[in-house]
Amino acid sequence: MKKKWGLFAGLASSVLLLGACGSEEAAPEAAATEDGKTEVVFWHAMSGDLETALNNQVDDFNKSQDDYEVTPIFQGTYEEALTKFNAVAGSADAPAIMQTFEVGTKYMIDTNKITPVQTFIDKENFDTSVWEENILSYYQVDGKQYSMPFNSSTPVLIYNKDAFKEAGLDPEKAPRTYDELKEAAKALTGDGQTGFTILNYGWFFEQLVAAQGGLYVDNDNGRSGAPTKAVFDGEEGQNAFNLIKDMYDEKTFLNVGQNWDDMRAAFQSGNVAMYLDSSAGVRTVVDNAPFDVGVSYLPVPNEADREGVVIGGASLWMGDGIADETKQGAWEFMKYVASKEAQAKWHVETGYFAINPDAYNEPIVEEVWAEYPQLKVTVDQLSETKTSPATQGALISSFPQSRQSVVNAMESLYQGVSVEDALKRAADETTSTLGQ
Amino acid sequence: MTMRNALVYTLLVLSAAVMLFPIGYAFSISLMDGGEVLKGNLIPEEPSLANYVAAFDRIPLLTYLVNSLVVALLVMVGQVVLSSLAAFAFVFIDFKGKALIFMLFLATMMVPWEATMVPNFLTVQSLGWLNSVWGLSVPFFALAFGTFLLRQQFKTIPHEMYEASQIAGISRFRFFWNVVLPVSKTPLVTLSVYSFLTTWNMYLWPLLVTNTEQARTVQIGIKQMQSNEIASDWGVVMAAVVMIIIPTLLLLFAGQKQLQEGLTQGAIK
Amino acid sequence: MTVTLPRQRVKARLSDAVSGLLYLSPSIALFGIFLVYPLLRTIYLSFFRTDTQGTPLEFVGLGHYASLFMSATFWQSVQATVGFVALTVPLTILVALGLALLANEKLRGIGIFRTAFSATMGMSVAASSVIWMFMYNPSIGIFNRFLEAIGASGVQWLLDPQYALLSVSLATVWMNIGFTFLILLGGLQNIDRALYESADIAGTGYWTQLRAITIPMLSPTLFFVGIISLINAFQTFGQIDLLTKGGPMNSTNVIVYAIYKDAFINYNVGGASAQAVLLFVTVLLLTWLQFKLVERKVHYQ
Repeated sequence: MKKKWGLFAGLASSVLLLGACGSEEAAPEAAATEDGKTEVVFWHAMSGDLETALNNQVDDFNKSQDDYEVTPIFQGTYEEALTKFNAVAGSADAPAIMQTFEVGTKYMIDTNKITPVQTFIDKENFDTSVWEENILSYYQVDGKQYSMPFNSSTPVLIYNKDAFKEAGLDPEKAPRTYDELKEAAKALTGDGQTGFTILNYGWFFEQLVAAQGGLYVDNDNGRSGAPTKAVFDGEEGQNAFNLIKDMYDEKTFLNVGQNWDDMRAAFQSGNVAMYLDSSAGVRTVVDNAPFDVGVSYLPVPNEADREGVVIGGASLWMGDGIADETKQGAWEFMKYVASKEAQAKWHVETGYFAINPDAYNEPIVEEVWAEYPQLKVTVDQLSETKTSPATQGALISSFPQSRQSVVNAMESLYQGVSVEDALKRAADETTSTLGQ
Repeated sequence: MTMRNALVYTLLVLSAAVMLFPIGYAFSISLMDGGEVLKGNLIPEEPSLANYVAAFDRIPLLTYLVNSLVVALLVMVGQVVLSSLAAFAFVFIDFKGKALIFMLFLATMMVPWEATMVPNFLTVQSLGWLNSVWGLSVPFFALAFGTFLLRQQFKTIPHEMYEASQIAGISRFRFFWNVVLPVSKTPLVTLSVYSFLTTWNMYLWPLLVTNTEQARTVQIGIKQMQSNEIASDWGVVMAAVVMIIIPTLLLLFAGQKQLQEGLTQGAIK
Repeated sequence: MTVTLPRQRVKARLSDAVSGLLYLSPSIALFGIFLVYPLLRTIYLSFFRTDTQGTPLEFVGLGHYASLFMSATFWQSVQATVGFVALTVPLTILVALGLALLANEKLRGIGIFRTAFSATMGMSVAASSVIWMFMYNPSIGIFNRFLEAIGASGVQWLLDPQYALLSVSLATVWMNIGFTFLILLGGLQNIDRALYESADIAGTGYWTQLRAITIPMLSPTLFFVGIISLINAFQTFGQIDLLTKGGPMNSTNVIVYAIYKDAFINYNVGGASAQAVLLFVTVLLLTWLQFKLVERKVHYQ
């Protein structure tokens, strides 16, 4: 019974202390494994085949040296993992390495419970020029590299080559502009098949805007100062929305909802002939489709204005309030996974980009590219991207919320709301969250 | 067979078919390979158990199953004990403020889970219960639903019996143990089945309070097999789903027998 | 009632209170730690503006509540919640009652049917949702393929704002039937057989017996099922998250889901707390009303 009252007393005092949320920072000690290695805990959100590939990377690292032992732990979706990280950040239960999606970048910086990897880059005078500039730049804020890009992907156009042939189109020449896309979709629509679709997901809209050089928020996408206003309802955003709306009205666009697997099911069952997907999904789609699959660049209204794509995916963050030795282990692991050998393996097993372009010259990559030429297209699209605030991507902490607003706007298009009204509402909602 | 029985049987078979269809569908998909799933077939062309092998291969499903079993049994015992004690007090003991306390008990059911998630995580963390079966089970021992369910049952026991036992000098606890519990077998089994299944099906809480694969439970395994950015292997996911529902279906079947035995004993009137 | 001396009566009352609390104490202690404390914290946070980590920054009084009442999205959530509750609760109870009556017949092999009807109780929300998502899939799902087979045009089950709430409700009814069925069957089996036997002798028909014996005798169970279903319906989360994510156009954005998005995706902890408090108070009020208005009509033996 005594214990219970003790709990109650503790409870009462914690009610009184509500809000006084500060954790004491005792000198943290590095956890060690049985064989004397320093344990480096790594929280991730990789499930399915991706988790297998990730565990392979970790095993390779653990075998490659004797000082550190990385322990990967699946923590649910990115959102779930972030909620948990937030609860334990700064305590002994916090991980040394935390994987977070790209739109959580600002949020992680704001926690003040992370160590920027720049600290280690400076300390070791590490040459980062071997890494792909277009990928690194997303995670650079105020000239500082905050996190290490890990699983990076971009959107691509995926199409059914067999359907192209049947419709009398050249299966080797995919549409690259909006007009070409509309024409192709018209030819492909009919007999239970619809021409084109885009998932109702904010990421694809952001990409279509950035591909035209359009910004998402002001102040150079929040990179030159705190953003004050959403600007994605400008000309570029309207182009993208008009494309969807026009095609939907012409019945050459199929609404597949918000679920990735529903979208792929529509493609693989022959209900839709072209769609946008993540470059990371290319390989499984090629494997599973009962027809020839083509991959091409994200379409733009006008070929001359093509800017490129924004890097998506996630990066690795280093925790703070952990032992220096553990941090060092985390850094060693990050360097390892960024090496060309590890990246080559990562790229072929997952379809994510190699952040070290030298990886593409590794024999295993060349072998796989020979078998899946579609993968190379995704890499070319990224390396042709011009680095600019548009393709660096927007830096706002309310990104998840803004994506919901954009999804709502896309859904309202199918209900007959006008392009201007739909976009304006989403932009206004985003603007109102920027000040918070 | 009479006309009436024939009609009842027809209705039973039809309803069962409708209710069981989705489960059969899942089973059927679990025997297909990836390409076939996406063709939208209903029956596998070449049934194979490859997906089951893959599911076991990909995650430590056996460890997860054992953990789920331990936690679910623990919560089941905890909930049945605490709920029956509380329900007994609400029905047979008269004291001031009883109605109010009962209402407060019910109110706990209405607290949205989002409100409790983070504070409870911190509480469990400060108790040092992360990665332990205690963190997974103790927070759920008190159950307003169970108290309510048993209260409804205990209320059907004639109060005169209780008064008679009091006059005969039988202690409260003996009355509870020797009279109330035995005649309430049916709802106790119902509650046990409910406790077991809800615990078995928990996802978010086990994910939060465990950090090692040795401590994790089956529903996390299901999530671990699905992914967004690359296509999920639906056959494997469904194979895992089927394996996870087999124990629960077996339990339901066993519970069903118990329920019928509870009936044949007859409720006292 | 026996006549006792006042002092003894006081003593007896006191001991009643003590032992009553003794029986309740384990539950009260755990509720206190794991439900009441978080609830108090939520109420507290609903009066504050917080940072993205949930640390209170500034007292805003009823500010969050005021902005909720002015937000169109909030009222959409209220509408979706009311619609969802109205669609799922009566339908679940009616279907489950029908199945329970069928399964209560004394027939050979009835155990198999009882297991079949309660089977959905063994299915986790995650697993059930995956299956329903498959069935609703416009391209390969069974529903649209059936519609096409009979010559009707397919329906965008989860993508059309007109159908999405209905579709999610239908899946929910299926998921909840198993459990409701089991409770109702238990209730039916507790009814004294003798009542029916004497009714048979008097020659009353099935439907009269149903109305005059079964329903009144089942009323405590029905009352219980009604309250539990209502509370559960207000708290439904998993299938919304997996099937629609609150869309399309917020048509299935029920309050619990809105709270989830605000608290764990948008990091608007204050606003989420205010919604949680409103939800709590509403459900509490409804349940209290049910007790006041309905329980007096319930027939306890």
